[in-house]
Amino acid sequence: MLDAMQWFLLACAIGALLRLLAGPSAADRLVALNVLSGIVLAFLALRGVRQERAIYLDVALVYDIFGFLGLLAIARFLKDKAMADGEED
Amino acid sequence: MIEVLLICILALCLYTVESKDLLFGTIALSAISLLSALLFYLLKAPDVAITEAAVGAGVSTVVYVWAIKATERKDIS
Repeated sequence: MLDAMQWFLLACAIGALLRLLAGPSAADRLVALNVLSGIVLAFLALRGVRQERAIYLDVALVYDIFGFLGLLAIARFLKDKAMADGEED
Repeated sequence: MIEVLLICILALCLYTVESKDLLFGTIALSAISLLSALLFYLLKAPDVAITEAAVGAGVSTVVYVWAIKATERKDIS
């Protein structure tokens, strides 16, 4: 059951990856990256439970903290960009 | 499963090199470090995966976005 779940999550990750490669705007790509990081987090936790090793869950924890930082930086950059465009118009 | 991940990383690397917008390249680079952390994890190296997740996905994305903010976003083709 857990093995089948891992393959399902991998298929979902490929779907999000296609949107990341094809998305026309930067916001599409940012949301695709966010969805991808959520799927990978679920995969890491699932694999940690499957292998029954507690250290495998630490990877999910650290990625959750630092991945959020990167997403926040990109989102803030997009906000500054949109506000600068609004002042010009 | 490892082969599928390697193909995904290769596709993202090619996109990063070919993209004309620097921000799109940075987003793809962030996804690359995410998937390579997953790859290290599948190869039973969780300590390397922790370092890759902290440095690659978090800090390097912030540094790249900071650099793009200080310069021009669009790449001159």
